[in-house]
Amino acid sequence: MVPGVRTSPAALWAAASTYLALAGTNLRRQLTYRAANLAGLITNLFFGALRAYVLIALFGAREQVAGYSVRDAVTYSGITQALMSCVAIFGWWDMIRSIRTGEVATDLSRPVDYFWYWCALDFGRGVGQLALRGLPLVALYVLAYRITSPPTLWHWLALPISLLLGLFVSFAWRFLVSLTGFWTRDATGIGRLAFMLAYFFSGLLMPLAFFPDWAASLLRLTPFSAMMYLPSEVYLGVVRGPGLAAALAVQALWAVALYALARVVLAAGVRHLVLQGG
Amino acid sequence: MTSIVVEDLRKEFRVYAHRAGGLGALRSLVSRDVRLVRAVDGLCFSIEAGELVGYLGPNGAGKSTTIKMLTGILVPTSGTVTVNGRVPWRERLAHVARIGAVFGQRNTLWWDLPVIESFDLLRHIYHIPPERYRENVRQFTELLGLEEFLRTPVRSLSLGQLMRSNLAAALLHDPEILFLDEPTIGLDVVAKERIRNFVRQINRERGTTVVLTTHDLSDVGKLCERVLMIDHGRLLFDGQLSELQQRFGGERELVVDFAEEYEEPAVEGARIVAREGPRVTYRFGQGEVGALEIIGRLSARYRLLDLSVREPEIEATVRRIYEERLLDRRA
Amino acid sequence: MGALRLYWTLVSVRLHGQMQYRLPFLLDITATFLGSFVDFVALAGVFSRFRSVGGWSLGEVALLYGLAEIPFALKELSLCGYDYDFFAPLVRQGQLDQMLLRPLSLPMQLVAAEFPLRRLGRLSQAVLVFALGLHLTPIAWSAAKLLYLPIVGLSALAFFAAIDITGSTACFWTVERLEVFSLFSYGGAAMLSFPMHIYHVWLRRFFTFVVPAALVVYYPALFLLDKPDPFGLPRLLSFLAPLAGLGTLAAACAFWRFGVRHYQSTGT
Repeated sequence: MVPGVRTSPAALWAAASTYLALAGTNLRRQLTYRAANLAGLITNLFFGALRAYVLIALFGAREQVAGYSVRDAVTYSGITQALMSCVAIFGWWDMIRSIRTGEVATDLSRPVDYFWYWCALDFGRGVGQLALRGLPLVALYVLAYRITSPPTLWHWLALPISLLLGLFVSFAWRFLVSLTGFWTRDATGIGRLAFMLAYFFSGLLMPLAFFPDWAASLLRLTPFSAMMYLPSEVYLGVVRGPGLAAALAVQALWAVALYALARVVLAAGVRHLVLQGG
Repeated sequence: MTSIVVEDLRKEFRVYAHRAGGLGALRSLVSRDVRLVRAVDGLCFSIEAGELVGYLGPNGAGKSTTIKMLTGILVPTSGTVTVNGRVPWRERLAHVARIGAVFGQRNTLWWDLPVIESFDLLRHIYHIPPERYRENVRQFTELLGLEEFLRTPVRSLSLGQLMRSNLAAALLHDPEILFLDEPTIGLDVVAKERIRNFVRQINRERGTTVVLTTHDLSDVGKLCERVLMIDHGRLLFDGQLSELQQRFGGERELVVDFAEEYEEPAVEGARIVAREGPRVTYRFGQGEVGALEIIGRLSARYRLLDLSVREPEIEATVRRIYEERLLDRRA
Repeated sequence: MGALRLYWTLVSVRLHGQMQYRLPFLLDITATFLGSFVDFVALAGVFSRFRSVGGWSLGEVALLYGLAEIPFALKELSLCGYDYDFFAPLVRQGQLDQMLLRPLSLPMQLVAAEFPLRRLGRLSQAVLVFALGLHLTPIAWSAAKLLYLPIVGLSALAFFAAIDITGSTACFWTVERLEVFSLFSYGGAAMLSFPMHIYHVWLRRFFTFVVPAALVVYYPALFLLDKPDPFGLPRLLSFLAPLAGLGTLAAACAFWRFGVRHYQSTGT
């Protein structure tokens, strides 16, 4: 996991506690942004309701579309809004900023692995956002609408796994995008385009299953669907049995693939930086 | 002709106290503690055209509040302000077109534009006639040494260059009055000197009235003859700087070069504070014994070669005034 | 005339600054274009399964979208100075005082303060979607409709401007960062992109009679498309757009002037 470090149990435990500490700091930080979180929650509620209205209007008199009932669709609008800020679907600029300002030099000289360092921070942030914005939003949705809940025990068990995988895939993608800053110094422009790409393919606007069949099957296989869409399908129970396993498998595969890619690109990036003189 | 007339000027602020804790926050929704703060409490003064006046006061004394009312940004609670015959906040556009203002460490120019292009924009905004503009730019560039960074974007300037540019910008439209709020704060000695010289020259050659708010008392010492001192919103002193020194100067120093090194050249009424071979520095207080007395006593006992009397630093004087509240209920 | 020239002098400075770096600028516009286009693309993408939104075809929704988005994007371009995110820092950091020291009216300075060209991305996609709507939907054009269309656009522009101005005026009272105000702006435009009858009755009533958003987009659209109001409200409502737009703008400006007076009495 950490290149060049001998992995004894003690060393692993030491590393793990560092990363946990990092995650915890960022999580606590989220708690201080009370006003911002409240404003964000209200925004989520508004847009969730808006999408719910549109979905209800789209369904019209239909009972089922692509395996979704109207209730499913309304629930979907709430779940996606709840997960939005957790997976930072609109963009994540911390690492990009640190590269632009040159802080990256300090970060790279610390005795922590660069990837897991940012990953730990992001997990703290993501879990914090889930707790502060996601859960309250779901609670509000329960009050406002009759939403569904995971149908079987398997789905309940799969849900946290799916959420964690989704957050990890989302992080790995954002990490890769931010890494371009190692070459271009200011990755803001690329970031905007890349994050917009993820936003489009994430399923935030419409459940990916609603697209024409040929499109829907393709869309479900992108890394972007692994971030919010697949966890939503797990929650809704739209995928069952082997379908449930397949969804988790897609997420896991993308997690591994993006991680491997991130490793390669990071190594290349560090080499590039060192050659440039930092 | 009087430029600025201030009569019985008052400014009160309502300060809401936030109560601590959750319960306090709830209570705050219903009724809040309101404190009335009198930032400016009955100021009266007038400034003639062409004067260079220093406006002194400790932090929180009401200086910036006064300046804001003079420039028209803030409306007073009561009292009158007339600047060049206008009420600043009532005729804002007309008033503001005839004044200039520079605020220390703050910037009035456009960040991403070269200095000269900022100037050009100001030419449009203030409707400056082209020949007048060219002449001013030429003169200010020369006096303030702007040539080397005239084409540099404002955001790349050092603080000294920034303040010089802002100062030039404030005068491009030939304002009658120039307000300077801590213009030399954070600058090195050379930059400060440059700005002081410039302000003095502008005041002398163009007759521009200058109101200088500052903490830097060497600014005051070098530029102003008249000072206004304010504390807790009230005017404590309005007069010549030399008078301030004389009345509240505190201790003075007498530096004597003796013909030889004496063991203990003590003298009544003064105490020795420094010795360097035959040079001895004495300090003596105001009022008790005059300088002449002390010199007389010394020359009666010892042989003197040379001597000089040093006035106290203005800083020391003013500090004394604040700390010992010498001007409360006086002046 | 002098005011127009002065506006142009001030704004051209901002334009030059933005166009200095070609590539980032083009990337920016593209990102903005795509970012706002995805909303409609997603809707179009799923339309094969649904065929209508509350009885409206894709083309009709596209027209509605354009009627809301084009004025909104125009407002974003030309009135950026009153954007809450732009204005709030000005007040907090004291730049507003600087503006008060210049012999120019505050509105002039704010309006000329910024002209974010990247928002052309949003404008162009709105025009594109509207054009698509025109292509897909047969409209019985008449002289009245052609004349009324630009009036509706301007009324909607005035309405959106009013929302921004009101939100920014709040800065004079509170130092807190109230991001909620951006929601009124963007959320409002998003809501107006869909036919009002899909929303809850109380929302509809509120946005017709209290904050007359529906009067500047939805009801004129009914007139344009020759659709009857599903709730039987008088046809007159379709023609109240200019009244709604100018009325809200006038109210917002009065509130603004009140806010500036308050600011000058209490300072920062």
